[in-house]
Amino acid sequence: MNGHLSSEQISRWMIGERTDREEEHVRRCSECAAQLAALESAIARFRDSVRDCGEMYGHPNVGLLSRAQSVRPGFLVGRSRWASIAAALLLLAAIPIYTTSRDRRAAEIARADAVLLEQVDAGISRAVPAPMEPLVKLVSWNSGIATTGETR
Amino acid sequence: MQPIAILAATADPIESRAADLEDFDQMVRLYWPRVFRFAVASLRDRDAAGSIAQDCLVKAYRTRHTFRGDCSVSTWLMQIAVNLLRDYSRNRRMQFWKRAEASALDLSAVSQSIADRDASPEGKALAKEQVEAVWNATEKLPQKQRTVFLLRFVDDMDLLEIASATGLKEGTVKTHLFRATEAIRRRLGGIR
Repeated sequence: MNGHLSSEQISRWMIGERTDREEEHVRRCSECAAQLAALESAIARFRDSVRDCGEMYGHPNVGLLSRAQSVRPGFLVGRSRWASIAAALLLLAAIPIYTTSRDRRAAEIARADAVLLEQVDAGISRAVPAPMEPLVKLVSWNSGIATTGETR
Repeated sequence: MQPIAILAATADPIESRAADLEDFDQMVRLYWPRVFRFAVASLRDRDAAGSIAQDCLVKAYRTRHTFRGDCSVSTWLMQIAVNLLRDYSRNRRMQFWKRAEASALDLSAVSQSIADRDASPEGKALAKEQVEAVWNATEKLPQKQRTVFLLRFVDDMDLLEIASATGLKEGTVKTHLFRATEAIRRRLGGIR
């Protein structure tokens, strides 16, 4: 292998792509080995710093997590969905009951109206008011006598 | 030369099992750190990262019956986290004027904690500078490149796992990872 590792070869080395010739070169070339070591060291330190961050700040808020877990919106959605379905079914079932009772009440009102109308009609159809009916009978009988007298 | 420490590092010694999803407290204990650090590295905001981690775990718990087991639980969780972060970033772009600065990560404090591990003053300074440079470089990466870079180098996921978590093809993951690494390397000044 002529010369040193190119920047592309160094990056490929870092992601695990390397040939036997490159490995052989790095074993013998202190400059390339130093470059690779510096890059590896920088990335390793970065990794350590991220892990330190996790240890420094990464403590779960247990209370919050428990609440988040216990809320379980999926479960609630399921329950509320079933509640909605039950309510809809109840509503559907209630409609015929309501309709029937409304019809029944309407029929009762109509019957009552018919009775009232009959009473009114009967009242209107009378020749004289009901309290005067005995008098009318008397008058009819008296007029019969009068008629007899006249003929006499 | 010694094998690359970053690539040789193993993933968290967590046996990812679907049974982990049944116990919410257990799930939080096992997976919160991983989800949180991915979120905080992506957003550089502690509160936002906490919200993302919380939403991720609660969502995973609620939808645990959809976990088919064709990847590990941690990969599945990272998939949820990636989606939440994408939605969050989209909303934040829409409401950039409302961006809260109060809980922004104190990069100086973060890099100092790494620098303090070095014995020499020169080493401390270099470490601090390097850490800050990589944090700043990752922030400037396009979102997909940043996500892939963090999953690879912070969470030690392999390309197939990253592809599964991001919904990208393996070749696309490799391309994003290469570009991200190039950008970071340029930022660090290791240029030839």
